[in-house]
Amino acid sequence: MSEVIIQVENLSKHYPPDVKAVDDISFMIKPRQIFSMLGPNGAGKTTTVEILEGLRNPTSGTASIFGVDVTRDYAKIRSRVGVLPQNFEPFDELKPPEAMEYWAGLFDRRISKKEVNDLLESVGLTDRKNLISKKLSGGEKRKLGIALSIINNPELLFLDEPTTGLDPKARRDLWRLVEDIRKKGTTVFLTTHYLDEAEKLSDDVAIMHKGKIIARGGPEELIAEYGKMTVVVLVGVGKDGLREISRRGITATEEEGDVMVPVRDPSEMRTVFAKLSALELNVKDMYTRRQTLEDVFLGLVGAKMEEGVLKE
Amino acid sequence: MSRIIADLKGFATQYLRSKVGAFFAFAFPILLILLFGAIFTSSEGTMLTMPVQNLDDGPYSVALLQSLNSTGVVKIEMISPHEDLTKYISDESLSLALLIPRNFSLEVVSAMAQNHSRLVNVTLFGDVSASTFGTAQAVLGAATTGLNYMLEQAQPTVSFDTKPVKERMSFMDFFLPGVVGITVMTTSLYSMSSICASYRERGYFKLLATTSLRKHEWLISKFMFYSALLYVSLFATFAVGRIAFDMKSNMTPMALVLIPAGAFLFVSLGMLIGVAAKDPESSVALANVIGFPMMFLSGAFFQLEAMPSLIRTIAAFMPLTYFNNGLRDTMVFGNTASALANLGILMVLGAVFFVLSSRLMSWKER
Repeated sequence: MSEVIIQVENLSKHYPPDVKAVDDISFMIKPRQIFSMLGPNGAGKTTTVEILEGLRNPTSGTASIFGVDVTRDYAKIRSRVGVLPQNFEPFDELKPPEAMEYWAGLFDRRISKKEVNDLLESVGLTDRKNLISKKLSGGEKRKLGIALSIINNPELLFLDEPTTGLDPKARRDLWRLVEDIRKKGTTVFLTTHYLDEAEKLSDDVAIMHKGKIIARGGPEELIAEYGKMTVVVLVGVGKDGLREISRRGITATEEEGDVMVPVRDPSEMRTVFAKLSALELNVKDMYTRRQTLEDVFLGLVGAKMEEGVLKE
Repeated sequence: MSRIIADLKGFATQYLRSKVGAFFAFAFPILLILLFGAIFTSSEGTMLTMPVQNLDDGPYSVALLQSLNSTGVVKIEMISPHEDLTKYISDESLSLALLIPRNFSLEVVSAMAQNHSRLVNVTLFGDVSASTFGTAQAVLGAATTGLNYMLEQAQPTVSFDTKPVKERMSFMDFFLPGVVGITVMTTSLYSMSSICASYRERGYFKLLATTSLRKHEWLISKFMFYSALLYVSLFATFAVGRIAFDMKSNMTPMALVLIPAGAFLFVSLGMLIGVAAKDPESSVALANVIGFPMMFLSGAFFQLEAMPSLIRTIAAFMPLTYFNNGLRDTMVFGNTASALANLGILMVLGAVFFVLSSRLMSWKER
């Protein structure tokens, strides 16, 4: 297997009159990794993925998978790639085993009943196999989509926002599934606007904003490079407390009634605690936590979170 | 080929599970045949009911009624001589009634004595716009001619041969190819236009583009599916027509060639509509704008020769006209040469629509 799965150089996609959906991005992805492209809606993630899937032509730049130019020769690598598109909808009238046989046939594959049953088992659809697809829940449909996307045993799997709109349990189930797929040696290209998902699953992350990649690295590397490492959380202090803290020259943010104070190292933490002790704050509780990818992202992009989803 | 078969199998499973698809392919043509068969055929054949009020009590009115009866196409129902005929016609909503006047026989004797210097009339009441009125006029003309022969004691010098009615083509024989034509059009055109538009809207084309299946393979599998489906539909409709209405039209090899040609044409036209429409709703509207006039103006239900010239001109621009004509040529009239000419037109039109739709259809970014 090649040591570079995806190579993108100076890739741009512009729409008239002056929308730069993807703006001169370059990156490469190594095999057997989970690579996450992270960004709010409209950042350019799906456009990038669809160029790599041969579904859109770039305005300029090059993109290759397994060393093959996807704009000219995608047909050559089609059978080595699996795709779960954004907002995947299965074919309504097919039952999951029928859909799997159908999809395998489209890759010139004959799939045995045992393989179908194993795949159903691995995505947790065994007890739903007799339902036609339109009667499956949103999470079950997405699981079926993942099963279809790996039916050709791909070396590279694109998952475009696979957990959007799913409940927490369904999301965790899918995360386990994605980790299992990676363990079998498949390289996974994941786009998501869930920061916890990217942090939990990824070996490698690219943060995309307004068509550009603004940060790149492993989750820990990004946190180390862009984060403050530790956050002191003052529970229930509220906006009044934030004003008091800010007057003392301490950098802090407020979120849902809690005030977050980032500190870089133990000496800074001692200084901050000294200043805080001089204030009469109504602190219900206090704890420290590591900074997350979310903190890094919010700092970089200036976006905010709503129900776990990034918003501009 | 294996990808085409895989797509054919997957698509067929979905299509046949959809109740709408199964209705238009099977129930619709059989319902049409049964409904129209019930309307246009019956155990009484084409017997025309003719209510008659006979005010005469002489032998010649009886002779006229016998002459009417002998035509074999009227069933006489007598109206009491005491009824006011005009009021009776109105009360009973009759579209037809025959009045034999008082003293008809005496008047006939008198006319014969005067060497036929005058005619003795019976009166046919009726709605002149009704199709039965013309038939009644013809039948009455034949009956009075028969009576005149009898009165003159002349030997008929003209005779005619008869054939049993069962061996003649009926309206239903004419109608069957029309039903098949409509089924081929509705099943292929409406279904494909809607499928193309909804596949695009639901992202199925993009999904298919990520597999090894190629666009032309998908198109071939659709053509194969609709051809097979329409063969089954044709045989089912034909069997119902034969069993229920004793049709005499034939299933010919040319008819079997015309079916896939029709499927090819209307699948391609449906794709073109689906590609042109913005969304599934507008594809249905567009398919109706094109398909609905074809149902009624392409000679499916009525012979084009009996239509006004404007309608015939419009019909000449409708692909379904050539499909109906081709099927009728081969199944009803046994005219293979004419059917072949219609087949040629279908293939040319189908090729044009196919090239246009496959050029315009994109599985990628639109």
